[in-house]
Amino acid sequence: MKHILPILLASLVLLSLIACGGKTAAPAETKAPASDATPAPKTDAIVVDTCILKEADDAMINNYTLLAVNPDAPFVDADGKPVADVQLNTVGAAALIHWLLSAEGEELAAAYGYDRYGEYLFYLKDDRPVSTAEIPAATPETKRVRLSTTTSVNDSGLLGYLLPVFEGKYGYEVEVYSAGTGKAIANAKMGNADLILVHAKKQEEAFVADGFAYVLDDMKAERMTYMYNYFVLCGPSADPAGVRAAADVKAAFAAIADGKFPFISRGDGSGTHTKELSLWPEALGITAEAESFKGYTDWYTSANAGMGTCLVMAEETGAYILTDKATFLTFVANGGVM
Amino acid sequence: MGASIQRAVGLILSADPELLNILATTARVSLTSSVIALLLGVPLGTLLGAGRFRGRRAILIVNRTLMGLPPVVCGLLFYMLFSGVGPFRHWKMLFTVELMILAQVVLITPIVVGTMETYVSGIAPALEETAKGLGFGRGKRFRLLVNECVYPIFSAYLLAFARAIAEVGAVSMVGGAIAWKTNVMTTAIMLYTNRGDFTLGIALGLILFALSLVVNVALSVLQRRVSR
Repeated sequence: MKHILPILLASLVLLSLIACGGKTAAPAETKAPASDATPAPKTDAIVVDTCILKEADDAMINNYTLLAVNPDAPFVDADGKPVADVQLNTVGAAALIHWLLSAEGEELAAAYGYDRYGEYLFYLKDDRPVSTAEIPAATPETKRVRLSTTTSVNDSGLLGYLLPVFEGKYGYEVEVYSAGTGKAIANAKMGNADLILVHAKKQEEAFVADGFAYVLDDMKAERMTYMYNYFVLCGPSADPAGVRAAADVKAAFAAIADGKFPFISRGDGSGTHTKELSLWPEALGITAEAESFKGYTDWYTSANAGMGTCLVMAEETGAYILTDKATFLTFVANGGVM
Repeated sequence: MGASIQRAVGLILSADPELLNILATTARVSLTSSVIALLLGVPLGTLLGAGRFRGRRAILIVNRTLMGLPPVVCGLLFYMLFSGVGPFRHWKMLFTVELMILAQVVLITPIVVGTMETYVSGIAPALEETAKGLGFGRGKRFRLLVNECVYPIFSAYLLAFARAIAEVGAVSMVGGAIAWKTNVMTTAIMLYTNRGDFTLGIALGLILFALSLVVNVALSVLQRRVSR
């Protein structure tokens, strides 16, 4: 008994020392570029150097699409054998989609973000599908709705803000599974989601073409693209590649590649990754395959990590990065580092 | 670090409902799975350590291999089995706390078995000799063995609990980190880190560490008392 407490205390001290060691190393690196440009104020607050360099460019539009998973989709198991009796909550999925596309759901989505960030994070598309359908109250069988979505939607806090209103009014319980778009769609293909909300057109179209989505009553198409925002190209405030002055975002990406300025790619098949791949000059031939950027590893880093992790890497290495705006604003609000 | 400590204390003091839910789920998953693993692993480990029977070595090798099973592989396996297209789809267990517990049991039972086997095989020959000399029967011999094993049983449990509470690979795969349902401390830390909210991640890490410390202190005290 007498020996336990000192040992536990010692390990506690040791661990906190290790933790602090990690912390003091990080800001030393990140502060350096900032202090070159401006005489850094001697405060404890860590200023994030990475800033938005290019935004609201049409090539960086980020469309969010709802898809109801088809109960009669050609589901297959791990061995490729067809599975006929996958159980989906089509009623619950339709109810949630109809609510999100109703006047109430859309108004809430459009208003989101202003209180916290001083700007709106999602805009409604002019040609969005609109629903006036009656929404049935939940029954014990239709109560549990499984929504598979991308991290950028979930991390923006939008769903935490919208769903309680829907759940409170109609009695459903929405379970949100969030992952990169690639994984979110794979999760639905495995029969683990009733609806998906994602942002990668090509992958959505493949999902529809494979028969995994269906057209809801009084809707026109499988893909219900209803809101959008913009990806932003971020980088060090000194902007060595001259991205700010570039004519458009494609020119900006070309400038980064020309000068071999460090760039952090998500590299994880997410919607953000898919968008980034479409912005490089075609001559470079960068795709999701590791083989395609083998020759660029001196400046192009495929991180295979979440948005926050990649932002830290960009901040610490003074790299450029494509990110969704909501995650970037959260990142900045938290001082970038711990 | 200072900001994280402040935030951790703030979170605890404000009794943030989401944090309390995460804590309750964490406690439920790690306590239940470690107790089940203990109940399964102690008899099996004792048997493997003290018994001499055919296939013992083979079971031992399988067990030692399972001790090194990567959690994420275990999680992936359970995900495939219980998926909407998997063979156990009718049980509707994917993304539930129950399946998280099951996956954890598979991960940590081998550790309990291994720990018990190592200890018991060390003391069994000497104990057997003593018991024979005293003319003990089977039942009495077993009780003598168990009596000798109280201390390592506690150690095995602490090891199992530590692995359960610190584990993230399997629980994130089979639980899906769904808010208010299957989100535990480790998956929440991952979630906040991915969002770039590191102070909250570290704050949760500190709370997790404190929780682990409390359980360890309590059980260590009990271990000393019982085995004295």
